[in-house]
Amino acid sequence: MGGGVRAGKWFAAVPMAVLALATIYPLVFTVNVAMKTRREYVLDRFALTESLRWDNVDAAWNSVGMARYFVNSVVVVGCSVALLLLLGSMAGFALGQLRFRGSRALFLGCLSALFIPFQVIMVPLARTMADTGLLDTYPGLILAYVAQFLPFTIFLMTSYYAGIPAEIIDAARIDGNTVYGVYRRIMLPIGRPALLSVGILDALFCWNDVLIALLLMPSAEHRTLMVGITALRGQYSDNIPTFAAGVLIAALPVLLLYLFFQRQIADGVTAGSTKG
Amino acid sequence: MDDRSGPSRRPPARPRGRFWERRAPYVLVAPAVLIIVGLRLYPLLLGVNFSFTGDGDRNGEQVGLDNYTALFDDPLFQQALRNVGLLVLLLPVAVAIPGLLATFIYLRVPGHRFYRSVYFFPAVLSPVIVGAIFNLVLAFDGPLNRLLGGVGAGPVDWLGDPDVAIFAVVGVYIWSTFGMALVVFLAGFATLDPALLDAARVDGAALRQVIRHVIVPGLSRTIQFVFVTTMIGMLTSMFGLLYIMTSGGPEGSTYLPELYIWTQQGQLNRPALASAASTVLFLIMLVVGLAQIAILRRSGRED
Repeated sequence: MGGGVRAGKWFAAVPMAVLALATIYPLVFTVNVAMKTRREYVLDRFALTESLRWDNVDAAWNSVGMARYFVNSVVVVGCSVALLLLLGSMAGFALGQLRFRGSRALFLGCLSALFIPFQVIMVPLARTMADTGLLDTYPGLILAYVAQFLPFTIFLMTSYYAGIPAEIIDAARIDGNTVYGVYRRIMLPIGRPALLSVGILDALFCWNDVLIALLLMPSAEHRTLMVGITALRGQYSDNIPTFAAGVLIAALPVLLLYLFFQRQIADGVTAGSTKG
Repeated sequence: MDDRSGPSRRPPARPRGRFWERRAPYVLVAPAVLIIVGLRLYPLLLGVNFSFTGDGDRNGEQVGLDNYTALFDDPLFQQALRNVGLLVLLLPVAVAIPGLLATFIYLRVPGHRFYRSVYFFPAVLSPVIVGAIFNLVLAFDGPLNRLLGGVGAGPVDWLGDPDVAIFAVVGVYIWSTFGMALVVFLAGFATLDPALLDAARVDGAALRQVIRHVIVPGLSRTIQFVFVTTMIGMLTSMFGLLYIMTSGGPEGSTYLPELYIWTQQGQLNRPALASAASTVLFLIMLVVGLAQIAILRRSGRED
């Protein structure tokens, strides 16, 4: 063992611990504030809360309308992810396993859409949605999310399916399965790990989005959670504990996903860097 | 779903069935391709086209490059472009921090598993959540200024001072996303040959030398990937932070092209001008994207 590397390691442990604290503290601070009464907050916002009080969370959930926003987010994210996984796995199977004319061009076409950020197409897209009556509707926002995250989903599903031995499909075809049968009976079950990973990432992307929802779902009763938080900030600037409680509600599902699926999230994030 | 009652004896597909069977690959990709073409590629053309028409009274008229002239004359857009330049300058910092941290985690600093989990968490939070949290943390009488006061430094108006605000926002952005790059770096480390590292250790090499002669050359592809994805992220995913933390202020000092597009389209009702700004942003992205393709090509040949 070289002493140089080992000394460096111990030297690094201190700033790394400080950084970890700097990462955790803002979150702890917010949770602590959300537990305080307004009076407590005004008197001393730093001291540990006197008790775990859920009044603010209750107020944010019921009287501020977070419950409504929460349901909106769950509906939109659920439908978007289901559609993304269906369309993404179909296209990924075709592009990754089936040889057909134009498959390479189609794959590259899908990839090129990765380089079109939403900001670039948001003006014409909003206009198209308005023209087709989809503006400020659930299907409109769901379609926009599907269009936004489909290239990424196809990319991951294609590279996953491309790694599956062709013999499996050949065997299934000899057994009399149609291509559609192979998709339903072989490819969907075999793709489960990739579908889980990409599905969680898509769910995070949709849940965390604010720009697309702000643009396409303008009316107050259609707000998603993230849009709701931005509205909350204006209305409750003099009631920070309630605001913090709203932030907590919006972050909790993400925290749960993270605790259970950290590995899948990391796998999805890094897939593009190791394959390419 | 399961119809295994003698699948091998299934009669040959009927002609109608064969028609769909032969076109199966196209049927499978069709919905995805329709959505991507209709809602991603076509709007791009529509938007470019739109940027050459007028707003307001001149709605629908061809106005040539008028929008682009107005755009580059607008001090707010100039500020947005200057801020893009600032992001480019800060890019090496945003790449080096996760790179160094990943190195230490890879070398199994005590507690490396814990650090990895903690650092990565903010990266999965919405920019809105992160921005909301930092509205509290960076408040004038908030925790950060209190900490500074504790070491004798005066309070800073993090989000209210035009010279400071953009650095505060970019700092928060880096705080919330370095975990993403960290995880990508760690995936790159997993492909590194451990024998090289062991050899360096046996030789008693200093950490600096190990980084320079073993890690950087071995990870060149990952480093390039992180550079490009971090740049794209800075250009396209700061909207939520800006929107909730500063809304472009104070004095327009924290504008970025994406917020400019939003403001022109949503608030000021100048969609054609917004389209021109979109086209400029797309050109910036195109340069970044082409760089990435070139990088992937080159590393593909190395493999």
